[in-house]
Amino acid sequence: MDRECALLLPGVCAVLAGSGSSLPDDTSLEKLLDWFTGITEDGGSLLETCPCLLKLISTVVHNAASDPGVLSFTLRLTGLLAATEESFKTIQEHPVLNKVFNLQHWQEAGLWEDPCLRIGWIQGLRSMLQHPKALSFFVQSGFIDPLLQLQTDTSLFIAEAANQMLAHILLFFQPVPPAGCKGMDKKEKGDGMTPSSADYTAVVKSISGYLKESLVPKESKNVRQSLQTLKLLALLLAQAGPPLRDKLLQTVGDSLEELVTAGSSELTLPLMDVILSACSSSGTDERITRLLSSMLNINKPADLIHAAAAFLRRGHHDTVHTARAVRILLLPLDIMTGQTLLGTISTDEHQFSVVEQLKSKSSCISMICVCLSNTPQITLTPPDVLPCLPVSIVTAVLSLLRICSGNSPSSSTGCSEVSRNVIGSSKVQKCALEALTTLTSSPGAKERISEVFTVLIQYLENPDSDPTVLHKSYQALLKWTSVCTDFSFITDQLRHDLVEVVKKRVCDMRWEVKDSTVEFLGHLAGVCDSIKAAAEERDASEALLGDCSTTPLLREALQDSESYVRASAISALAKTLTHRWQQGATLTEEEPEIVSRLLEILSQDSEGFPRRAVVQYFISWYSSHSPPSSSSSSSSSSSSSLLMQSVRSVLSQGRADLDWEVKVHTLVLAELLLDEAFSGHPGYKKGSDSHHASPHAYGVVSEQAYTLHTHTATHTEGAESDLAVVVEQGVVSVLLSGLVDCDRPVALKACRLLITLRETVCPLSLGALDASAAMATVSCELPGCGWGREILKILKMKKSDQAKEEDIADQSGLNGAEEGGDSVCVSVCEALRSLGLDERMEVLTQSSDHIHNSPLSLLQDILTASATHTKPGEEVIVDCY
Amino acid sequence: MKLYCLSGHPTLPCNVLKFKSTTIMLDCGLDTTSVLNFLPLPLVHSPRLSKLPGWVSKDGSANLQKELKECAGRVFVDSQPEFCLPEYIHRELLDLSTIDVILISNYHCMMALPYITEHTGFTGTVYATEPTLTIGRLFMEELVNFMERVPKAQSATCWKNKEMQRMLPGPLKDVVDVWAWKRSYSIQEVNSALSKVQLVGYSQKVELFGAVQVSPLSSGYSLGSSNWIIQSHHEKVSYVSGSSLLTTHPQPMDQSSLKNSDVLILTGLTQMPTANPDGMLGEFCSNLAMTIRAGGNVLVPCYSSGVIYDLLECLYQFIDSANLGTTPFYFISPVANSSLEFSQIFAEWLCHNKQSKVYLPEPPFPHAELIQTNKLKHYPSIHGDFSSEFRQPCVVFTGHPSLRFGDVVHFMELWGKSSINTIIFTEPDFSYLDALAPYQPLAMKCVYCPIDTRLNFHQVSKLLKEVQPLHVVCPEQYTQPPLTQSHRSDLMLELQPPPMPYRRCSVLNLPHRRRYERVYILPELANSLVPSEIKPGVSLATVSAVLHSKDNKHTLQLVPKPPPVAPSKKRKRVLEEPPAVLAPKTLLSGAVPLEAFLATLQNHGFTEVKVEETADGHILHLQAEDTLIQLEEDGTHIVCDNNEPLRTTLRDLVLRFLQKL
Repeated sequence: MDRECALLLPGVCAVLAGSGSSLPDDTSLEKLLDWFTGITEDGGSLLETCPCLLKLISTVVHNAASDPGVLSFTLRLTGLLAATEESFKTIQEHPVLNKVFNLQHWQEAGLWEDPCLRIGWIQGLRSMLQHPKALSFFVQSGFIDPLLQLQTDTSLFIAEAANQMLAHILLFFQPVPPAGCKGMDKKEKGDGMTPSSADYTAVVKSISGYLKESLVPKESKNVRQSLQTLKLLALLLAQAGPPLRDKLLQTVGDSLEELVTAGSSELTLPLMDVILSACSSSGTDERITRLLSSMLNINKPADLIHAAAAFLRRGHHDTVHTARAVRILLLPLDIMTGQTLLGTISTDEHQFSVVEQLKSKSSCISMICVCLSNTPQITLTPPDVLPCLPVSIVTAVLSLLRICSGNSPSSSTGCSEVSRNVIGSSKVQKCALEALTTLTSSPGAKERISEVFTVLIQYLENPDSDPTVLHKSYQALLKWTSVCTDFSFITDQLRHDLVEVVKKRVCDMRWEVKDSTVEFLGHLAGVCDSIKAAAEERDASEALLGDCSTTPLLREALQDSESYVRASAISALAKTLTHRWQQGATLTEEEPEIVSRLLEILSQDSEGFPRRAVVQYFISWYSSHSPPSSSSSSSSSSSSSLLMQSVRSVLSQGRADLDWEVKVHTLVLAELLLDEAFSGHPGYKKGSDSHHASPHAYGVVSEQAYTLHTHTATHTEGAESDLAVVVEQGVVSVLLSGLVDCDRPVALKACRLLITLRETVCPLSLGALDASAAMATVSCELPGCGWGREILKILKMKKSDQAKEEDIADQSGLNGAEEGGDSVCVSVCEALRSLGLDERMEVLTQSSDHIHNSPLSLLQDILTASATHTKPGEEVIVDCY
Repeated sequence: MKLYCLSGHPTLPCNVLKFKSTTIMLDCGLDTTSVLNFLPLPLVHSPRLSKLPGWVSKDGSANLQKELKECAGRVFVDSQPEFCLPEYIHRELLDLSTIDVILISNYHCMMALPYITEHTGFTGTVYATEPTLTIGRLFMEELVNFMERVPKAQSATCWKNKEMQRMLPGPLKDVVDVWAWKRSYSIQEVNSALSKVQLVGYSQKVELFGAVQVSPLSSGYSLGSSNWIIQSHHEKVSYVSGSSLLTTHPQPMDQSSLKNSDVLILTGLTQMPTANPDGMLGEFCSNLAMTIRAGGNVLVPCYSSGVIYDLLECLYQFIDSANLGTTPFYFISPVANSSLEFSQIFAEWLCHNKQSKVYLPEPPFPHAELIQTNKLKHYPSIHGDFSSEFRQPCVVFTGHPSLRFGDVVHFMELWGKSSINTIIFTEPDFSYLDALAPYQPLAMKCVYCPIDTRLNFHQVSKLLKEVQPLHVVCPEQYTQPPLTQSHRSDLMLELQPPPMPYRRCSVLNLPHRRRYERVYILPELANSLVPSEIKPGVSLATVSAVLHSKDNKHTLQLVPKPPPVAPSKKRKRVLEEPPAVLAPKTLLSGAVPLEAFLATLQNHGFTEVKVEETADGHILHLQAEDTLIQLEEDGTHIVCDNNEPLRTTLRDLVLRFLQKL
């Protein structure tokens, strides 16, 4: 804690003690507590450094008119102060501790009704209970019963905190097991930590007794208590060591059995949680295994399915139960699709009740969705557990998809009374498509790839498909394409159908559909590229779409009335063309047209998304094009010249854009140009920014502090001409205008790049002075208004400072633009040196609220607010977003 | 109550309801699918169609070269197309001249009207709403125009010969009732038929001979489309024809008035239960845009009113987003202009938000703006102005959806050979494969997006759950899943009790029995009644009156007093004197309570009473007197042998417990 804060703290304490009603905002107490916690965690002792705190506590506690918020704060603060054994002793010397946590006191004062106080009580105790002394205090004060009562408090937050607290007590103080047990790391502090066993036993006894009592709901209204208790039990069993766990299981075993037998739907999942936690920690406890078996045999189909799903999610490796759970989850699919997944099903009672349940539409949909979302995991279970081949499950999901779209052939053997519940349900369709997407990784799934493509194309074709369903179909198609290595299964008919449907969908009435289609085309190009890279097989895109070029479709989408579609079309075009760019292929006829349309979008589009996408298009073009070499053909160089020409326009347009993300993207593009120009220079550090050219770095600002790279290497001769090129390309203008931009991410990025540039072309080191003298001849033009004027102002200010110091009166170069209007030429090097980039960088790297977020400012705020508050008639309006 | 079913077509119904001495025809739809067996009527001389080979049977035994032509592997009748009329030729089913009124539900369901009003001796009235009449007239005029523009000298009849027909190939062999097929009517017949139409407004009540009241309700399907309520004082029959719950242009469907029907006759559900109209509209637009972008033309065979308004409205919004702003849209029909203009003036028949536009004032349909901005142009025919302004690629809306007559035939010949063009079917009435049969082989792309906004099975079962009719009558097609999708049990009506199915020529005895009739009492007569209360709230009175029935109204009038007889000495007159009116016997009511009666008997000295329970009441055996008293629900008998005093005593004892009127 620094001196200033220490000086202010007593004043703040006084304000708080005066009932604290004049706090600047309701988060200031939280902030204060956070600050204290930080100090304690760093090993500082609050009691020693701020004795005023103890005084504050005793004043507040004795003041009956204290604000509940401040009281709650005081309780938590006390807990925090008493968190170590030493400080606990110190506090105990004062009479304050008993008073602070004295329940009766608060109840009599009528303050216990306030949830604020109750949560403060729990959290204060929770902070304090870090050592055996505190536990003794806790037990002797008889706090265990009130805490158990709070477990079913009307406020959910309090009930949850009480649960956490109960778990904390039992787990934290549990006796250290012999060796190598988990979760005990906090207790390696020495023997002094071991609580007196009497205290701990007492706690365990009352809590486990309570668990046993409250587990089984006496009446239906007590279900909430059971729920809470089950949650607590699950928490405990997951982390308890053997003695505690065994003790707990022994105590609640009967109650658990009773609950399992009662089979309340509401309790099924939490109960399953408890049993599974017990399973995973205790291994092969016979009783628990029996309970688990009963859970997987309850006779409410809907609950059973959830229980089985929960079991599978936990990933147990118990063959018998896994097999059971798998059968439970596959049964509804079996019934609905008529695919024999379970071999011969005996027409037992369970199946009958599942069929009955499936006949009701709502429960049918929810059950089928649970089954579907578990199918991918089911296919990954060991073969001896599966009642069928994994591939049959893929087939079943495919049949289900057919049924859902109403396309199932009438010969299908599924139960028609059941299957009509899912016809047209987009929820089930989406679930099944998601399952199908994940099923790509199932063993043997690829056998069905041709069928998968047929079904997916049918979905894309279906006029009634919901936009989200179409989107999922596209995703599934991409995923299956990406795992496919052999495209020979794609028949001409399939290819024709896909081409036709894609052509149709880009003309859809719903923009969401157009958007997903355009996106799909882009991703497909990406997927195909990666496949091609992996194996020089047949071109996947060609295999899927034949000789239908997607570019005309995407070009059409550039005209779309919806900005998202335009943006997607632009990035899809970039993905489609990337491969050509990388190969340095000749410029096609349509490329210049695309480019001119893109530039038009950049300059005229009213929406930000397409403009951002345009800059990114050029970023990916620029980063994937092969720079023209002497041997390159004329056509490739025509491609390069088109690129360079358009990059220049993009830089000048992007610089002036209103959207800060467009500007940041423009800076990324400028960075690429810098990289290319100076990559040969020893002084140039490529990727000065930690997130180099990341196409999705939407204004993410790196926290990495800037470090000066000073070096003394002499510059190569080419630097001067390279700088001239960069200036000519407009890169320097982009950087300079970015520097004075009002959006911090833009200014930050520009500043970093300018520093890199400065370090490269005119380092401050003495050895490089000669070279920089040569550089000084390279100048750039600043416009007489807007950002140019801002830059000139900075330069002039610096210059006059310099002039004072060095008494050099030659400012002629800067005097031309007094009132704006005319543009001015300045030396780049001089500008770079005199802009004060390093100071600027320092300011920019600090987050915008750095001044207002310090403990000092917090303390000052509280004091100021109280000062203002004491003046009558003045209302304090604090902006506390 | 009887229902005669003259048409088996579920969406082109023609039923006759006999109800309370009235005979009401419900719709008279004309089944035009028969025209698919005929060759198209080209507007411009078609070398291809004129050179088709005549049909001769393989063994040469049947030669119908002049009447039948082979085209694209099928045989078509080369004659003026003919239509399949509702069943009225077999007069034994029903004499249509006895029909009192015809109720029309929408303009699609009245196309057979001239055949019925002009050729059956019909003398009644036709009721329809104003838009139904106006647009129905347009449809009829268009049909007549299509036929008369391309006159065919001969009329093919030989092929209809039973012996001959048996030898024919393909679908022709199997069509039934070919002798009942008729050529189109003339414009005179249309005018005469429509002159019998009386206009009604929604919820307007029309009295039919005082017996029943009929009233049209909005059905939401098309401009002026209606369902009908036919009710007497104690019975209610609802007739639900083409109805829609979608919010398109017409006024929304009035569902609540259908509640509490004794019988609900349900026809005109969607013909395309698996095609959702929204999805189809989307398909329509994307296929249209796709074709135009590829430089092709789009042909939309459609009716000149109805769904076309929705299509135009949808396109109005779609054109800009799909960059089709410069593509011309043509609507070609002899009645195109009237259809577009009439639609704008039927404000009161439109859905709410279209109605409110009228007050802005703005045209309710956006096609007005399309016309103003020259994006949509309409022409009466391909001849004349159209040919000079025709620009491709374009979108053409034109009739007839059967592709057998109308301007569409020309475009089929013109564009069919190029694969960049597309024909998009939106009308659900014809199988598109059959419609295209005479144009094969066809390079043009075909897209089938039938848009049928009528109720689907899901909607109708929800509707029926709400309005709760006692009995439902429907075409038999609705009681089982469609033939091609036999597993889709969701595509049929499942009701409890099950609906009564009908088919062509069925006569159904509707299960509803009439139990009550309303009778009026003249005030003077009512004044003379002396009601006596037999239990709280229920009073009875005897009445003697003369029942007077006229125009299905029944009135009780005072019995006319006999005219004072002039004293006469002639004996003959004396004999004619009316017999003295006997004072009416008092009527008894109530029940004899057993316990109390037994106590009374005891008091009067009848001690030995044995009570025996029977199915209808009790028998009391007075053993000493050897007498039986039978107490039953509707009678009491005292059986004793020749002991009149005893009988009288017992009678009086019984009477003590009964009320006298």
